[in-house]
Amino acid sequence: MTEQSNHPGRGRLRDPEVLLSILDKLPSSIFVKDEDLNFVYSNDLHCAMIGQSEGALLGKCDADFYPEENAKAFLANDRAVIDSGKTSIVEENAISAAGVTTPVLTRKARLDAPDGKTYLIGSNTDLTEIKKREDQYKVLTETVPVGIVQIREDGHIVFSNPLFIAYCGGDVSGDAGLRVIEKLQETHPHFPGQACRFETDIQGLGGEPRAVIVISSGWLRVGGDVRSAIISVVDVSAMTELRRVNAEISRLNRELAENVKKLKEAQDELIKKGKMEQLGQLTATVAHELRNPLGAVRTSAYLLERKLKNHNLGVEAQFERINNGINRCDNTITQLLDFSRTRSLNCQLGNFDEWLAQIIQDEVPKLPASVTVTLSLGLDDAHIPFDPARLQRAVVNLLSNASEAMVGVAGGSKVMTGDHRLSVSTKRDGGGIAISFSDNGPGMSPDVLQRIREPLFTTKSFGTGLGIPAVEQIVVQHGGRLDVTSAPGEGATFVIWLPDEQKHDAA
Amino acid sequence: MTRKLNILVVDDDAANAESLAELFQMDDHRVIIAYDGQQAVEAFSLNKVDVGFFDVMMPNKNGVDSFMEIKAEHPEARIYFMTGYSADDLIQKAVAGGALGVFSKPVDLSRLLKAVESEAA
Repeated sequence: MTEQSNHPGRGRLRDPEVLLSILDKLPSSIFVKDEDLNFVYSNDLHCAMIGQSEGALLGKCDADFYPEENAKAFLANDRAVIDSGKTSIVEENAISAAGVTTPVLTRKARLDAPDGKTYLIGSNTDLTEIKKREDQYKVLTETVPVGIVQIREDGHIVFSNPLFIAYCGGDVSGDAGLRVIEKLQETHPHFPGQACRFETDIQGLGGEPRAVIVISSGWLRVGGDVRSAIISVVDVSAMTELRRVNAEISRLNRELAENVKKLKEAQDELIKKGKMEQLGQLTATVAHELRNPLGAVRTSAYLLERKLKNHNLGVEAQFERINNGINRCDNTITQLLDFSRTRSLNCQLGNFDEWLAQIIQDEVPKLPASVTVTLSLGLDDAHIPFDPARLQRAVVNLLSNASEAMVGVAGGSKVMTGDHRLSVSTKRDGGGIAISFSDNGPGMSPDVLQRIREPLFTTKSFGTGLGIPAVEQIVVQHGGRLDVTSAPGEGATFVIWLPDEQKHDAA
Repeated sequence: MTRKLNILVVDDDAANAESLAELFQMDDHRVIIAYDGQQAVEAFSLNKVDVGFFDVMMPNKNGVDSFMEIKAEHPEARIYFMTGYSADDLIQKAVAGGALGVFSKPVDLSRLLKAVESEAA
């Protein structure tokens, strides 16, 4: 006290009036009681809080102003402070004479004053604002859609809001919380000491796993000496689900587009098939109607030729033209039938090389003499399923196509002599067989090559333009394909590829 | 010396039937003409037929049905078919039922005459 009284500032405050005016202006209510716990001083704020003037207060005790229960408690507390000399700090509610309750922090201490007497000095700090903020804070932490936990560096959970507790399976003991924190530490090496943010799954006791974003503040000093981290846990399960649903919708959309495309293709195919069926019926009828009179013409021409044989009329050339005309008509009808026939195949398992050798042997004599056909068989008695009648048409078409490309037909402009070579070969290829027809004719420009599969496309002054489309039609019906390679001056190669096994769909 | 045959030509197309008849007659064979399947069946029961050449698609009764009927009565009957386009199912039925062969129209006459020759041999 001696040292303090030497302080220059204290000297000026020795004036009691100044001191009392300061006490009146303090934002705390201050009171002093004597040893009997009667008021000996009350500053303005204390008077206002109780709702009495200082004059009304002095010499009175709490029992004169507060309800009996409250007064008893206050006085007992006062007495304890006086007796023990220990300072008391308590939160309590002060109720004024007008019945207004105010939350206050009350500090009380015993003062052994220089006048030899013992006093109780007390102060009340109005906690209304702090309480209001505390309530706001409580509501905030209870309603924010984020799990919040504060964990100290020593591993002690200082605080966790209800949502975090719920995320941990509703266990309020804190053990579940610690287990969740440990799990998160395994996920992220710097968690929670360093500020970080990551996405993971958590699963509390018996709880559903949920996708969350975890955010840690890293170690901070939040009051006290031990550092702690504030961890926020945001449930993004809904968002994850949304993302998944979104991805699923995208996938379905792609699938839908793909299906629409397939449907369109199937529709086109169906339309084409319908048209082909119509064409097939029409062609069959026309073929029948044309071939009967053609037969009669052929037989009659033959009879006429025989009857005129020994009359030296010089009509051989005319008969040849008649017969060539009949043959051309017949070939055209055959090609139309080949192209338009959509009936299902009549496949049999057969020795392909053997079958092909027989066809070549039968057909080669019908080709111009200048065409040399070489046959190279490489299937080693392989048996594959095919429709012999239909495939024969494909082979015959390719033979005559190659022959016509190299030689031309009677009456055509191409040279009838020369080195016309057609090489036919078979080999195994992938899950099937390849039959190749290579000629040394003039070849095709890329432009022609590109259009060769189009029905009715022809570079010849004669012909239906259905030969190659018919071949392709037959081969595709077998589940195979027709490949064509050619360049001007380099001949052409047609390759029929047929699968080892027939797909049993509607061919 | 080849023997002379009784040949049955069946075709609803008269020009065809008659020109073929004339062709066979040139080689001194005897020819009977039927213009539909029903007539063919009757012709077979009324005549001794050595070989028949039947069209397939005809009114009243198609060639294959009349062939099946004839075969039932005369299992030894020797019959070839001639067709404008292959009515696949019918042709298969005929071949399975014992038809000797199928000529596609317009008939290749050298093959046809060879067939007759072999029947006459």
